[in-house]
Amino acid sequence: MLSRVASHLYWLSRYLERAENMARILDVGASLALLSGAGDERAASEPLIITDTLEAFGATGMPLTPEHVARYLAWSPDNPSSIVNCLEASRENARAVRGSITSEMWENINDTWLQLSAKRQGGAEPVDAAFFDWVKERSHLFRGITFATIRRDQPYQFIRLGTFLERADNTARILSVKQARQAAEAGGDGLTDYYRLSAVLRSVSSLEAYRDIYRDAIDARRVAELLIFDPSLPRSLRFCFDEVVRNLAELPQAPARAARRLAAHILALLEHGELEDVYGVGLDAFLERFLKNNIRLGEAVQAAYMEMK
Amino acid sequence: MSASALTPLPPPPGVFDEMLDAGLVPRAHYAAYADWLASMSPEQMAGKRAEADLIFRRIGITFSVYGEEGGTERLIPSDVVPRIIAADEWERLEKGLVQRVTAINRFLADIYHGQEILKAGLIPEDQIVANDQFAVAMIGTKVPRDVYAHIVGVDIVRHGDGSYYVLEDNLRVPSGVSYMLSNRKMMMRLFPDLFRRYHVRPVEHYPALLLQTLRAAAEIDSPTVVLLTPGRFNSAYFEHAFLAQQMGVELVEGQDLFVKDACVFMRTTDGPKRVDVIYRRLDADFLDPLAFRPDSMLGVPGLLAAYRLGNVVICNAVGTGVADDKSIYPYVPEMVRFYLGEEPILKNVPTWQCRKPDDLAHVLSRLDELVVKEVHGAGGYGMLVGPTSSKAEIEAFRRVLIANPGNYIAQPTLALSSCPTFVEEGVAPRHIDLRPFVLVGRETKIVPGGLTRVALRRGSLVVNSSQGGGTKDTWVVDVGGDADPDGDATASTGA
Repeated sequence: MLSRVASHLYWLSRYLERAENMARILDVGASLALLSGAGDERAASEPLIITDTLEAFGATGMPLTPEHVARYLAWSPDNPSSIVNCLEASRENARAVRGSITSEMWENINDTWLQLSAKRQGGAEPVDAAFFDWVKERSHLFRGITFATIRRDQPYQFIRLGTFLERADNTARILSVKQARQAAEAGGDGLTDYYRLSAVLRSVSSLEAYRDIYRDAIDARRVAELLIFDPSLPRSLRFCFDEVVRNLAELPQAPARAARRLAAHILALLEHGELEDVYGVGLDAFLERFLKNNIRLGEAVQAAYMEMK
Repeated sequence: MSASALTPLPPPPGVFDEMLDAGLVPRAHYAAYADWLASMSPEQMAGKRAEADLIFRRIGITFSVYGEEGGTERLIPSDVVPRIIAADEWERLEKGLVQRVTAINRFLADIYHGQEILKAGLIPEDQIVANDQFAVAMIGTKVPRDVYAHIVGVDIVRHGDGSYYVLEDNLRVPSGVSYMLSNRKMMMRLFPDLFRRYHVRPVEHYPALLLQTLRAAAEIDSPTVVLLTPGRFNSAYFEHAFLAQQMGVELVEGQDLFVKDACVFMRTTDGPKRVDVIYRRLDADFLDPLAFRPDSMLGVPGLLAAYRLGNVVICNAVGTGVADDKSIYPYVPEMVRFYLGEEPILKNVPTWQCRKPDDLAHVLSRLDELVVKEVHGAGGYGMLVGPTSSKAEIEAFRRVLIANPGNYIAQPTLALSSCPTFVEEGVAPRHIDLRPFVLVGRETKIVPGGLTRVALRRGSLVVNSSQGGGTKDTWVVDVGGDADPDGDATASTGA
C-alpha cells in the first residue's frame, strides 16, 4: 500500500476522532457550566486547557465565557483542532484516498461534510447539545460503516491506529485536567466533586460502566483506575493500547521495530500496572509521561510507514 | 394525461436533430423512446432529474473549476434524455475511428524515427520540428509495439447535412469517460423500464478493457500498472480515483514515485515496489522536472531517463501532442492515405491555416461566419465563434489574429446536431457532440458510444463542462434486429 495513502487514512480517522472528542468535551462542559453558574471563568477555561488552546483563545480577545469558548472550539476557522476544521481535514484526507476506502465510507464522510456546510449557512453555527450529539453520531456512524464494509487489510489497520492513538490521547488529557483541578480545590464540598467526576465519566461514555462495575459512590481513584486500566471499556487507555498493538501486529513488521517496541512497553504498563504504581509517581506525572509516550509512538508510526524517504 | 407537455420541440432550421426527422417524426431508433416519453408527465421527469442530482452529489461526482475559490466543486449536469445511435451507424463510426487512430499511431512512430511523411513532402517539415509539441527526447526512442497513443478521445460532431465530422483527436490525456460510466449507471437506476424496451449495448466493461490495454502496453508478463494523477485539486481527480479503483491499480502522485538505477519505484508501507506501466493523467510537460519544467512539483525526477531506456512504459507516450495539435489536424486524412493506403472513412472539418497568407486573407474576410481557434488551445478558451460574437468582439479578435496568424486555424461554423434535452421549457433541442474512447492495446477496441456532451444554453454551441455544458448517456441500439421493442414494451407494461 502507498505510504501516502496510509498517511491519509491515519489522519482521516484521527481527525474524525478528534472532532468527536471535542464535541464530548464541550457537551459536558456546557452542562457543568450551567451547574457552577455564570461568571465561573475556571469552568469556562477547562475545555481550553484540555485541548491546549488556552493561549490561542486568549489571543483572540474574546471574553472567557462558556458560549465563546464553545464557539471557538467548535467553529473557529483559526483553531486547527476546532470541530469544523477537524471534519474538513477528515473529509479532505478521505477525498485523497477515496479509491482505498469503500464507497459507503466515502459517501458517509462526504455527507457529513455537506450537512456541516448546511449547518453553518447564514452564520448559524450552533453550539448546543443537538449539535454535539450530531458530531458524535456522525463519528459513530463512520466507525460502524468502516467496521461493516471494509476488508481487514492495511487500510483498516491504519484507520484503527489513528482512532485509538487519538482516543488514548484524549482520555489521558481529560483525566489529567479534571484531576489537577480536583487537587487544587481539595476540600470542596462533596456535591461538586460528584458532578465533576460524573462529568468526566460522561464525557468518555463511562458513567454506566462505572455504576455497573463499582456499584458505589463515585470516587476519584476508582475513576482513574477505570479509565486507565479497564480492558473492557472502549475509551480506557488499556483498551486503546490493546487495539494499537493488535493493529500494529497486522502491518508489515520490518519498517516498524521502534514503533512496536514502544507500543508493547506502554501496553505492558497498562496491562500489569496497578493503581498504587500510578499514585506512587503521582497521577499527573503518570499521565504526563503517558501523553509524551503516546505522541512519540504516533511519530514512530509515521516514520515507519508514512514518511517519504 | 397531457401528452403535449413532453412532446419534443422542433430543432432550429438547418440543424440535424438526432431524434426527429425533417417531418418532425421520431426516427426509427428513437420511436420506442418517443412513445415512452409521451407516457411521462413533466413532474415525473423533474422528479427523476432531482433524484439523479442528489445521487451524483452524494457520490461526489463533481469537477473543479479553474480559478474559482471556495465552492470549487460543481456537478456536471447530467441530462435524463439519452442520445441514441443506431447500431449500423455506430459500426461505420467505429471502423472510421479505428482507421484514424491506427494512422495517427503510425504517424507518431514515423516522425520520431524515419520521418518518411516529411520526406514525401506531405507535411511541411517546419510544421513538425518547430512545433512546441514535438518531443525531441523521443527521437529514436523505441516504445513497445510502436504504440504512442493508447487512449484516445476523438471529438465528433454531426453537421446539418447529417454526416459526422471529426473535430479533434485528443491524444494526450483525454478525460470524461467516468461521466460516460456514471451516466449509464444512473440511467439504468432511474429508468429500468427503458432498458427493457431497448437492447442498449453495454459500456460497463470499459475499466476492464482499459486495464487490458495498459497491461498490454508493456512487453513483460504481469506488469505493475499505476495511474499517475496531479492530485486531488485537479479538475478530473474524481475520474482518476474512479478509474484506479475500478481497475484495482494504485492511484499515485508524483511524490509517491522515485527513480533509482534508472527504474521507477513507488513508496509503499512495505518498502519500494517496482512500477512497469504509468497511465499518466498529467501533461507530459509535468512528468519530469529534470527533463521538462523544473518548477513542476507533480512529476518524478529522472522519469524520462528511465522511460527512454525502456524500463517503464508511459501511456500515452511522451510526444503525442504533436499529432493532436490543430495545426497538424488538417493532415490526418493524408496520414490515412499515406500509411494505410485507404480512403478516410471519417471526414475532417475543412480548415484554413492562418499561417498561410491566402488562407488568412480568406479568414479575415469572413470572420463573422467562421470559428477561429488557437492552434494549442483547449477547453473552449481563446476562440472566436463568429456568428454569435458582437462586432466589437470580432474586431478585437481580428487584431489578435493579425498579430500572430501562425497561432490560429479557422473552420466553418458547424451547425452541430441537436438532441432533445430536458430543460426549463420542456424537452427542447440542444446542441451535442460525441467523444468515443478508443483503446489501443494488442487490438484496438472501443466501447459502444462514448460521452455525449450537450450545450445546455439554448442556441449555444459550446459543450465544454467548464462553460455550461452537461452530459448525456449515449446508447448504441440495434434497430429492426432481434430486438422487438414493441413486444418488450408490452411485456414490461403487463408485468
